[in-house]
Amino acid sequence: MARVNAIPGLSALIACVALLLIWDGLSRAFAVSGLPPPWGPLRELPNLLTEPETLVNILASLRRMAIGFVVAIAFAVPIGLMMGRSRAVAAFFNPLFMVIYPVPKAALMPLIMLWIGIGDMAKVLVIFLGVSLPVVYHSFQGARSVEEKMLWSAAAMGLSASQRLRRIVLPAALPEIMVGCRTGVVLALITMVTSEMIARQSGVGNIFFTALDMGQYDTVYAMIIIIGALGFFCDVGFEAVRRVLVAWAEPSHQIAVGSA
Amino acid sequence: MNGGTVLPLVGRPDRIQRVATNLIEIAAVSKVYDTSQRGRHVALSEISFDVAEGQFVSILGPSGCGKSTLLYIVGGFVDATSGSVRVSGAPVTGPGPDRGPVFQEFALFPWKTVLGNVMYGPLQQGLSRTQAATRARELLGLVHLTKYESFYPKELSGGMKQRVALARTLAYQPKILLMDEPFGALDALTRKHLQNELLEIWERDRKTVMFVTHSVEEAVFLSDRIFVMTNSPGRIRKVFDVALPRPRVRAELLVDRRYQEMVVAIEKLMDEQEPELS
Amino acid sequence: MSIRRNLVSLIAGALPIMAALFLWYAVCALKLAPASLLPSPVTVFTRLIALAGDTNFLTQAGITLFRLFVGFAIAVVLGVSIGILAAGSRAVATLMQPVVRVLAPVPKIALYPAFVLVLGFDHSSKIALVVADALFPILLATYQGAAAVEPKLVWSARAAGASPAKCLFTIVLTAALPSILTGARIGLIIACIVVFLAEMITSTDGLGQMLVRAARNFQTVDMFEPIITITLLGLLLNAAFNVLSARLLVGFAEQP
Ligand SMILES: Nc1ncnc2c1ncn2[C@@H]1O[C@H](COP(=O)(O)OP(=O)(O)OP(=O)(O)O)[C@@H](O)[C@H]1O
Ligand SMILES: [Mg+2]
Repeated sequence: MARVNAIPGLSALIACVALLLIWDGLSRAFAVSGLPPPWGPLRELPNLLTEPETLVNILASLRRMAIGFVVAIAFAVPIGLMMGRSRAVAAFFNPLFMVIYPVPKAALMPLIMLWIGIGDMAKVLVIFLGVSLPVVYHSFQGARSVEEKMLWSAAAMGLSASQRLRRIVLPAALPEIMVGCRTGVVLALITMVTSEMIARQSGVGNIFFTALDMGQYDTVYAMIIIIGALGFFCDVGFEAVRRVLVAWAEPSHQIAVGSA
Repeated sequence: MNGGTVLPLVGRPDRIQRVATNLIEIAAVSKVYDTSQRGRHVALSEISFDVAEGQFVSILGPSGCGKSTLLYIVGGFVDATSGSVRVSGAPVTGPGPDRGPVFQEFALFPWKTVLGNVMYGPLQQGLSRTQAATRARELLGLVHLTKYESFYPKELSGGMKQRVALARTLAYQPKILLMDEPFGALDALTRKHLQNELLEIWERDRKTVMFVTHSVEEAVFLSDRIFVMTNSPGRIRKVFDVALPRPRVRAELLVDRRYQEMVVAIEKLMDEQEPELS
Repeated sequence: MSIRRNLVSLIAGALPIMAALFLWYAVCALKLAPASLLPSPVTVFTRLIALAGDTNFLTQAGITLFRLFVGFAIAVVLGVSIGILAAGSRAVATLMQPVVRVLAPVPKIALYPAFVLVLGFDHSSKIALVVADALFPILLATYQGAAAVEPKLVWSARAAGASPAKCLFTIVLTAALPSILTGARIGLIIACIVVFLAEMITSTDGLGQMLVRAARNFQTVDMFEPIITITLLGLLLNAAFNVLSARLLVGFAEQP
């Protein structure tokens, strides 16, 4: 175990190989055309990723995802921090967010498309909605658990309320915020794929069903691998960023909260 | 027996003569912790001593010298790196109902009531629910908690929790009690009460007790024999035989010269610069 | 003091919800948006109440609930047993950790086409998606909770004569219950959301399909009903879960 962990990513690689072998075993066991062995989709990957149309679709999806994610962070972090530091703000927002929490955000896609059309805006808006709540939640938890005494001494030094929020609460809550961002980035991907599957206009989600309708099962499974890999690498990337930014802290809330 | 690492032995006082009725035999027990950050850490080095049946022995020593580790090894909760522990002649391979632990942290099951906690052991021994409840109530009477049987641990004070923990352990009738600073988390007054109660209970059936503590007075008050340990690596530094008469009454002991002298002698030893052990 | 504070925060919390509802009402009443795009809240909620007696609607909701509960139950059983086993056995943990590390951040919805291909369009593919989505929060919470159980609790039980396996499935499992329930509640809400989305994607039946059908027919009012219903269901299940948790967790310290 120790030696496996010594090389970063080796255990994940072994896990991937193991999963592929399990997949291969399952496809032999089921023996249906809907579940081909993994080797065909793997061979399909390079074709898919060099095909300009697919690439454009994927990149467009990623762009929408990035915009929705960044806007959500810019909106959710301040709200979460204020909720964490002020009982009144928390009392004001908490029930609202509690009601919104179980709403399937991607399911709003048809309504939003009805209102603002089928363009990028609708998709970005849905991603924004999907990402915001967990980031608010984690920022809230982070700000709430900031040492009271740190703030007292800051106030004694003459920092104003907004200065305290920016200079004390934000850095102290950063570890938790980063956990929220890490959850958020995976959620952005989930919301993106889901909403595109529902809207079936363009993008990654649409490629799935075009391939499905045409019976190109290898393409379907290749897309699953691509999206799975995207999810994994987004997560690993954010974990790496988190480690660099807040090497001093261990996150307290590790279970991802929320869904598309 | 030496288990690979040979450590120089400077005037070892830990060779105790064997008594015929030794219940616990600790032979050359060493414990090395492999920590990824700080490397190997020798917590216990070649500890050897025996405890006779019915004896009350205490272990004193600076923080981190391995007292808890030694107790856990006897309990079978932690494996020794080398050496062996025998109880009633049989080597210890894991926990067993012949050795009942009482921890500083109480370790009560929070989801069980006081009665449920004390019934746990008897139920594990195969007693019926009514038999187990009868035995549990007996023990709750012994620790003066009869009225609290339907309380949850979180509703009790620290002293009451430790009484429940003691009752829970006594309920499965272990031959040996392994007590790791059982009164360490309690205030001075509660602590004295519980010391008296423990002695009272002990006088009834004279179980063998290994008792870890930081308090010299507590050790002298309770024990027949006291082992003082040195810090890293943990070894036995000196053994004191407490020849005070039993049953012991605190008020009488406090004015007893022998008690005072023993407390002072041990305090002095523990204050002294430890002899450098390379 | 505390009652007054609760009352004040209750009013403060009701404010934004009320304001949103009022804004919605005002926009419709002032005819700022055509009713075909944004029906008035009065219309929407009257229709919802009417639907509560509608057999078809209740059947569809029942189908959704069935998939939700079956998927959630499977996820709980799988997640809790794997999590507990991994906490109890180093071998299982070594096997499990890298696999979970790879699979947990994968968007499970991407697996849905595969589930459809293998299991068909009916219940089983949707249930499989619910399981895949709800499993990981439950599994991780169980594992983390079980790994954090105070060892002296286990030692106390072992010394009393319980076998290691028995300790794992009685003492460790129960001691980890607060964490398990936290994970299960997250899993429940996720299950609620995911079952709806799956029904939207392959619109065969259930509440999700009602939304898609209404959208195709531009029946805006009917688009609101399934969304509100699934949200209310989520809130209701969440509340029920809280009541259940409080009952199961007597004796444990208050959860934050
Ligand atoms: N699980 C562990 N991993 C690594 N090192 C440990 C572990 N448990 C104990 N140690 C180390 O072993 C040494 C002895 O620990 P132990 O708890 O037995 O001391 P102690 O005498 O009981 O101390 P105290 O009086 O503070 O309770 C300490 O230096 C401690 O750091
Ligand atoms: Mg200790």
